Amino acid sequence: MTPSKSACITPLQAVRDAVNQVDFNRFRFWFQAIGFVLFVYGGYLAIDLGSRLPFFSCGYNQEGRGGVCYLLPLQHQLGRSWPTLFSAASLAILTGFLVFAAWFIVLNKGWCGFICPLGTLQDWITALRRRLGIRYARYSQGQFAQLTRIKYILLALTILIPLGIGGGWFSRDMSPPFCLICPARMILPIFTGDFSQFTIDFSSKTAMFMTALGMAVTGLFLIGSFVKKRFFCFFCPMSALHYLISRPALLKLKKDGDKCTRCGDCYRVCDMEIKEIADDIKTTDIMTDDCTLCLKCVASCPEPGALKATFVGIPIFESTEAGFIKRMTREHAP
Amino acid sequence: MKKAGSALALFALLAATNISAQPTEEQRAQWRAMREARGGEPAGPRPPEGATQEEKRVFYQKRAAERAQAEAVPAGSEHSAHAGQAPTERKAEGSGKTGKPAVAPTPTFAGTAPEQTRGGGAARPGGGAGGMGARGGGALWLSDSPPSRGDGPPRAGMGAMGGMNMGGERSGPPVKRLWLRAGTDPQKSGFAREDAEAPAETLLVRPQGSLAGEPLPPPEEGRKNLSFEMPVQGYYRLYVTTRKLQGDTLNVAVAKAEVSNFSHGGDEEERSQALVAPRVLESAPIEIVREKLPNEKMFFQLKSGEHQAFVVLQKGLPLQGARVRFVSHEGWTKEAVSDGQGRTSFQVVRDYFPPWDDFRKRFKATYLVIAEANAAEAGRHKDQPYGSVRYQATLAGSYYPSPDDYRSHAWGLGVSLLIVILCGIAVYLYRRRRTRPFREVRLDDAE
Repeated sequence: MTPSKSACITPLQAVRDAVNQVDFNRFRFWFQAIGFVLFVYGGYLAIDLGSRLPFFSCGYNQEGRGGVCYLLPLQHQLGRSWPTLFSAASLAILTGFLVFAAWFIVLNKGWCGFICPLGTLQDWITALRRRLGIRYARYSQGQFAQLTRIKYILLALTILIPLGIGGGWFSRDMSPPFCLICPARMILPIFTGDFSQFTIDFSSKTAMFMTALGMAVTGLFLIGSFVKKRFFCFFCPMSALHYLISRPALLKLKKDGDKCTRCGDCYRVCDMEIKEIADDIKTTDIMTDDCTLCLKCVASCPEPGALKATFVGIPIFESTEAGFIKRMTREHAP
Repeated sequence: MKKAGSALALFALLAATNISAQPTEEQRAQWRAMREARGGEPAGPRPPEGATQEEKRVFYQKRAAERAQAEAVPAGSEHSAHAGQAPTERKAEGSGKTGKPAVAPTPTFAGTAPEQTRGGGAARPGGGAGGMGARGGGALWLSDSPPSRGDGPPRAGMGAMGGMNMGGERSGPPVKRLWLRAGTDPQKSGFAREDAEAPAETLLVRPQGSLAGEPLPPPEEGRKNLSFEMPVQGYYRLYVTTRKLQGDTLNVAVAKAEVSNFSHGGDEEERSQALVAPRVLESAPIEIVREKLPNEKMFFQLKSGEHQAFVVLQKGLPLQGARVRFVSHEGWTKEAVSDGQGRTSFQVVRDYFPPWDDFRKRFKATYLVIAEANAAEAGRHKDQPYGSVRYQATLAGSYYPSPDDYRSHAWGLGVSLLIVILCGIAVYLYRRRRTRPFREVRLDDAE
């Protein structure tokens, strides 16, 4: 770079260049690690960010949690008796949802890619697999198309079953239904030495079935995450809920199809195997329902400005040739 | 789609298991048999089918008032019928445990119904004359359930002492109702009768109210319960104090109830303040304070098998040497003497052993703690002199079955390990099957 050129670079441009050329994997690793500590051990530091968080900061992690996943209070609220549910008390559900939406709107699905402790845990299990030299699994496009619907089914059940419980159709031992089968309930408390959720409840047939199902899903989660990147995120009802309200979110993933060469790098690094990120050159708002906004696609794109993350319309991280080369050089350095 | 179908099938199966959780014909027959064992009569008139919560409440209040009137007549047969509210087996157990005939009713503050004395007085631990045993059947205490209902799994919309309060059915602040009962058996104690000679002074201490408390209006005509609204979060404490002269001794009894009202939402600062606020009434002649556990949260539930400490205070200061008795839901008792800090500790015994099919993990059992102390204090009460004072304090609370009774770590770990092993083997075999041996393919450019 010649002195005359460097003199033209404004401080803002310098910051942008630094961000665009950042060692993204390392940055994300530390960001996730801090998020994990904050929401799994934050309670020990008297951190409590409420019970409307848009990611799996598990409420069953009694001592260490720095906040509570919104699905837990939502299911409890929907499980109230119908006279209560359809009274002024339902305002609490509305205000709770608004608080959840306010949290969500800031980072969009970036909560999944950067903060969610269960997502972070899956990334760590993936890193372990990589170190062991075991190859990962991929779904076929047909399988992908089928599996991606499960999260909507689970979201529907997460809402409908509590309503049925409130109406007396189902036993209260099913409450909260999704939490009972969510692996976060079993796994995250372990990090604070609490193994109390690693149990089968024999007090009733329903409780026994639900807790046994939860333990089975936990086993499936452990083995699935080991062979498949972000295994559980395909089935996550929170991810489905995110997508349904993602339109007004401030953080966006944008694509400029005119600059895309369809090289497929973005698809190859995508943990969620989203093919549209490489193939779709028409849509500008490229985030799909399975996307976790991890921004690995932006970091791996060699075409300047083809992919970018924007916050309130302002680009905060975009693909550049220099950034791509720098990251490639770092990754393949001896 | 096949997998999605499997998920739906799982939940359909779940719904099926739920259906089996409903009362079976066999259970209904068992209940009918129990009712017949009480004398062939139903426990009492029931509210009409489909009655609203409010209608049921009015109905039960009316029924309780009628029963109280019936109790006022000292007819043995009627009392027996009333005692029949509890299942016969339970009554037999209670008398068997005590191994002692009923203590003759001693006139105390609020006249205790004779059958209650019979039921509760038997647990007398053999204390000194004039101490706890002399009034064994007559302790006044505040309960969050009337005698006619008993305990068990919490009902929808009812808060619990020390438990999670879900608030009222409708809008507005939750309302707590408490009943003044007499006796030392949490299950058999009946309503305390009003005693003109020992009028009750009722004091309610609200979380953000005066530390000295404020008088609570007496129950409305025809109602037995003391009720108050709980508009803010925190601990509400109700004190019912009675004073009655008996010979040369003034009996001072303080029945206390501590009701926690917390919710997940609401003002966090209000909640934080409530959690650290003092829980002592300095003007109380005697009181029992349940000591909070170090890791106790808002929605604390005492479990059987756990240790619970209580502190006996007199005018806000620790009272050493008070005789403290812990009575479990089934009537098991243990007595201890408060130490220099006024403190005693008890392990909550596990006394809930139903047939496994009837087991309810949310079964709310009631314990009762009674503290007594004598003091050589002279003075005058209603212009009558006295030479000593006998203090008695009561505090009731609830406890639930321990999760260790119905949860299994071994099975939990076993199921997850089994899935891990099975899935691991499946993945390995699947991958091995798809691995084809290397085969060199030569292409001939000439072709």
